[in-house]
Amino acid sequence: MPDQTAVSNKFLGIIPMDGRLELTALPGVRWLFKKRWFPMAAILFNMFMFMVILLSGVVGGFSSGNYIFGIMIVWILWWVMLMMVLVPVFSRTWCMVCPLPSFGEWLQRLRVFGVNNKLFGLNVKWPERLRNMWLCNFLFLATTFCSGFFTVKPLATFLLLGGIIAIGIVLSMIFEKRSFCLYVCPVSGFQGLYSNLAMTEIRRKNPAICEKHKNKTCETGNKNGYGCPWLCKPHSLNRNTYCGMCLECFKTCPFDNMAFNLRFPGTDILVNSKRGLDEAWKGFIMMGIAIMFYVAMMGPWGGLKDWVRASTLGGWLTFVSLHASMNLLVIPGVFLVFAWLSKLASGAKDVPLRQVYVNLSYSLVPMGLAAWIAFSFGFLLPNGSYIIHVLSDPFAWGWNLFGTANFPWTPVLTRLLVPLQFITLFGGFVFAADYGFKLALQTYGDRRTAVRGFMPLLAMLMLVTILFGRLYGG
Amino acid sequence: MKLKWPRSARAAFTALLVIGSTLAPIVGILAYEKYRSRQFAADIVARAPEKGNYSPQSFTLPVGRKSVIRIRNIDTVVHGFAVPGLGVDAGQIKAGHVALVAVTPEKTGDFPFYCTVWCSEFHLNMRGVIHVVEE
Repeated sequence: MPDQTAVSNKFLGIIPMDGRLELTALPGVRWLFKKRWFPMAAILFNMFMFMVILLSGVVGGFSSGNYIFGIMIVWILWWVMLMMVLVPVFSRTWCMVCPLPSFGEWLQRLRVFGVNNKLFGLNVKWPERLRNMWLCNFLFLATTFCSGFFTVKPLATFLLLGGIIAIGIVLSMIFEKRSFCLYVCPVSGFQGLYSNLAMTEIRRKNPAICEKHKNKTCETGNKNGYGCPWLCKPHSLNRNTYCGMCLECFKTCPFDNMAFNLRFPGTDILVNSKRGLDEAWKGFIMMGIAIMFYVAMMGPWGGLKDWVRASTLGGWLTFVSLHASMNLLVIPGVFLVFAWLSKLASGAKDVPLRQVYVNLSYSLVPMGLAAWIAFSFGFLLPNGSYIIHVLSDPFAWGWNLFGTANFPWTPVLTRLLVPLQFITLFGGFVFAADYGFKLALQTYGDRRTAVRGFMPLLAMLMLVTILFGRLYGG
Repeated sequence: MKLKWPRSARAAFTALLVIGSTLAPIVGILAYEKYRSRQFAADIVARAPEKGNYSPQSFTLPVGRKSVIRIRNIDTVVHGFAVPGLGVDAGQIKAGHVALVAVTPEKTGDFPFYCTVWCSEFHLNMRGVIHVVEE
């Protein structure tokens, strides 16, 4: 088998990637992280906001998505924040403050702030075969089948969020801890995959301390906090993917051995642990959805818009079939061709195609996130000003809470939109190419073989960048 | 010295926070709107005729007293609201926007109102009537 350790630890061969800056060493940060009220205060604030969002789904304006509080806050503000800031910078911080699973979690714990490690409910273990991203993949894809409604019909957003809360409560009464968040929540999967690119991480500080600590209170919990709700082993965490950043391990570690680090973006992409087809498909699906969203929402094809908005049942079913086929078959199939070409070009007969396929698919993480950030510019800059209006008049009842109800629609910096999108895509390409080469090196072992095997991947990444550039640039 | 709250006080505070972030916003918002909307003599939703037209299409105002009419455009297109007989013109009401107009009718009778913006092919049907009566 190839040597998996011969990977350069410098980005583009210049910038060191190993450095860590422990943010919890700053005064006040660790103190804050150890307080039980800290994430809960943010959760309660978000709970308040989501109640207003849910209410706006059933009362207030009905027809015009731009003036609906729920639609603007969820699909413009929250989504943009998630894609542009929260995931790329702070990993899964949204999961830390997400209010959607809180009702279920409070029921499990029979506490809001306090600690009770004897959890209420059946606490059944999640089925072994489903301990992956497949369910998240299918549910997220299924959610996008209704994308034509979510951004224009407030009731659709209400049903989606209300449904997530309801399913979260039911599953938390059946399955242990945050099984719902880990394996079901549609938003969870892509956050998990893309958080590999994040600039922050939660990790142990000194491995020796964890090794000597027999009780592993970060897993089992103690009087100060819960055993990891995300079913991770914080003492040996090496990837962000399944860490919900709930900060319980900061509270339960008696040695203050957990750290919140600033790091070079994307180092988890190179961690060869728990890689699989489920995560590869998540990468493909995210690329496919970015293409579809752009084509349907911002493209000039009116017929396709009618399909997506379900003007006719036949049209909508055609859209669902095409969208599902593209995401589940066509994009993975195209990638398979390039993975096969990579293996062929490398000449490494002893490396299984599946390994090439899975490993190289992680190069799509920076590319996909860049495509989503670029896409987000496309609706943030022209439409972001609507948020100023809806904050003052969230239900289209004529309120003027902050004096901004008459703030006119004001596109911002739209002349810079395409350049910003191009720069973002190019940045994504650079990261994807660099990590792609490192992944090729991990896969094939020696440098010469990896260079040959990398060429088809590089060609594919260039084609993907050109495709998105062509789409966004018109 | 670290102060420790009594258990009952902590429970009450927690309950207050949870209710304050869940039920309270819903109840508070609906109650405030109920209180606020009492000032409106008429509350009209504006949509293109094929989507529901003005709703309601007729209502009553008292003669000689100032009344406030709220017109909510919940449509995806611009609408208007004018009552020539009462000298009222709300101007353009953009999609998602709300107009408040004050009127003091000086005589009784029926006064037609209609949309002043070409909003759909059925635009000319977007109309209604105000009945001004003695109190």
